[in-house]
Amino acid sequence: MSESTGLRFGYGTNGFANHRLTDALDVVAELGYVGVALTLDHAHLDPFAPELDRRVEQVARELRRRRLAVVVETGARYLLDPRRKHAPTLVDPEGHVRVDFLKRAVDIAVDLEAEAVSFWSGRTSPSTGTWDRLVSGCAEVVAHADRREMNLGFEPEPGMVVDTIAQWRRLRDDLGAPRRFGLTLDIGHCRAVEPQDAAACVRAAGTHLVNVQIDDMRRGVHEHLEFGEGEIDFPPVMDALRAVGYTGLVGVELPRHSHAAPEVAARSLKRLRAAEWLGRAAETVAADPERITAILPAVRRNVGGEAADEARIRLLRSTPPQMAPDLYRRGDNDEKRAVLQALHRLDGTGAHLDLLHDALRSNDPRLVAAALGPYSRHLAAPEWRQAVLKGVFMGLSPSLMHGIEERADAELARMLESLRREREATGRGLPDDVTDLLERLSRCASSTPTST
Amino acid sequence: MRIFDPHIHMTSRTTDDYERMSGAGVRALVEPAFWLGQPRTSTGSFIDYFDSLIGWEPFRAGQYGIRHHCAIALNPKEAGDPRCLGVLDEIPRYLVKDRVVAVGEIGYDSMTPAEDEAFAAQLAMAVEHDLPALVHTPHRDKVEGVRRSLEVVGESGIEPGRVVLDHLNEVTVDLAADTGCWMGFSIYPETKMSPERMVALLQRYGIERILVNSAADWGRSDPLLTRATGEAMLASGFSDDDVDTVLWRNPVEFYGQSGRLDLEPTDAGDHFAGNSILRGGS
Repeated sequence: MSESTGLRFGYGTNGFANHRLTDALDVVAELGYVGVALTLDHAHLDPFAPELDRRVEQVARELRRRRLAVVVETGARYLLDPRRKHAPTLVDPEGHVRVDFLKRAVDIAVDLEAEAVSFWSGRTSPSTGTWDRLVSGCAEVVAHADRREMNLGFEPEPGMVVDTIAQWRRLRDDLGAPRRFGLTLDIGHCRAVEPQDAAACVRAAGTHLVNVQIDDMRRGVHEHLEFGEGEIDFPPVMDALRAVGYTGLVGVELPRHSHAAPEVAARSLKRLRAAEWLGRAAETVAADPERITAILPAVRRNVGGEAADEARIRLLRSTPPQMAPDLYRRGDNDEKRAVLQALHRLDGTGAHLDLLHDALRSNDPRLVAAALGPYSRHLAAPEWRQAVLKGVFMGLSPSLMHGIEERADAELARMLESLRREREATGRGLPDDVTDLLERLSRCASSTPTST
Repeated sequence: MRIFDPHIHMTSRTTDDYERMSGAGVRALVEPAFWLGQPRTSTGSFIDYFDSLIGWEPFRAGQYGIRHHCAIALNPKEAGDPRCLGVLDEIPRYLVKDRVVAVGEIGYDSMTPAEDEAFAAQLAMAVEHDLPALVHTPHRDKVEGVRRSLEVVGESGIEPGRVVLDHLNEVTVDLAADTGCWMGFSIYPETKMSPERMVALLQRYGIERILVNSAADWGRSDPLLTRATGEAMLASGFSDDDVDTVLWRNPVEFYGQSGRLDLEPTDAGDHFAGNSILRGGS
């Protein structure tokens, strides 16, 4: 799985606003990113500063030296108007100012040998004629990009006139479907506003994609989040990007994380690579389930220790249930735990109880804890009580034992009480949460009328 | 002093050893698969042993803040026993495991044709699984053994930088020095190297591509001789940085070629891998 080339991850320089551009390029390249989304801004290649040509040539050199690819972004906040954020835009009456800027951006992109220039529409406003101004402004930019042979990526942006892929299609149609008018897709935006999930958006965008921005987001909230902090399931997004044959940059877009940029960038790349590996691993297993025997042991070294447990369980969910016993028996303790934790999803009959018995014989508390998960409901009452007792004996918290509140009974109370006496004889007591459980159980027993 | 013991058989050691090693600065180790002192009688015996190397033993080590990895192989002593050869079919399944960072110990014991075969077959497995190989050089007829081992390594096509020739000494070190292979030295009472002799070799050959291990096992051996070697180095004028190279960075570089080393610190006594399942964790 590691043999194929994979996606090309980049980082948006707007997430490095507190760094000098060359420093940002250093950090990004050292971490292993292969490109940047360069936002033309006052501190990072100001397109209106004197001696622009010389500056552009310098930046081109710096990029080449670090083997970084580049797309040009035009979303700087106060570049054209120091008082009004993003103004003027293509939908404003004075939109020609932006048209001129965008043409200039195209020229700069050509000199940087950039892969695309990305831009957006502008906020919806009550003034009339916005759509027409947008179409004619875009047409001018497209004509210029055509002359300079530069690809354009137009980005649907929540809260703007063009906020979805559907609106982008409408605009493209009104422009007469020009060849160089492509799509910039922000994966986070898909979650925030699109009717389909992000992976479906990527597939729908297909070959129109010329630029991809990536970040996490929650439904209905336009806030760029680090991976794992929002609601997006990334492995299928990575699969979709490969499936549509996308070869451009996938650039991390976290413009509000500049204060911690180096750490955020390092974390982000790890998570992106993990998601890419996991997506591909799941596809491989779906096509050829036997491959799980080599893929499951490789999870930690590909997604990192923190994400490994969840990733293993995810892979097991797409594995035929009859493979579970072999994967458990031939697994190391991490694999064994994953099988135990996934078992209730793979089998509703209790057919694999022998695996639980095996784990419960072990002296590794993590295995015992995994055996006390949801699948333990298939254990007969005496076995289950013994398992709980062993867990308590090993120091596991009862709160982690599945169904403890419903299944705990007088007999378990008797066993715990006996353990408590034994502990007290050695000068050690039971932990508070076990004592609490014991008290709850005795209260129940005393309030239930004894049958005679 | 942080120590990575690149060759130690913890299966035969007690928890006292783990405690002392932890106190002496051992933070990581590799346990290569070898024989048990008592010959095995079946493939099943290997399976239980390998399972322990990827299961119970890492858990035990983790309780003392030590990262446990292993190397898997059919050892040369048992490569001549037809009752054990079936294990060669089982080994590939272990070579994909997360804590398996090399193929080993492989190599020669008595240089028989059966040993030839098992040695070559397992070097091929190392190449196929992109893993380094740990080559045990024989206790008897050592010079000839090292020479033949180098030939087999050469024929296998494995990159020399992914091979360690272990249990070298003053007599065999020159054979290995210019091959590009890593040079392993076991500091082991009487039969192998002593800390002082090791320091003399380091002064002569430098500190690059050298691994120092205790090879402690069920014989009369001492898991703290790595530490003793570090101290002997300091006493003879090597710097802290030199000691760190030999006792930590070198093994990390060699086994790191597997892409599988996990050196995140463990909290001693937390019952493995920073888990949060125990009370008080979160």
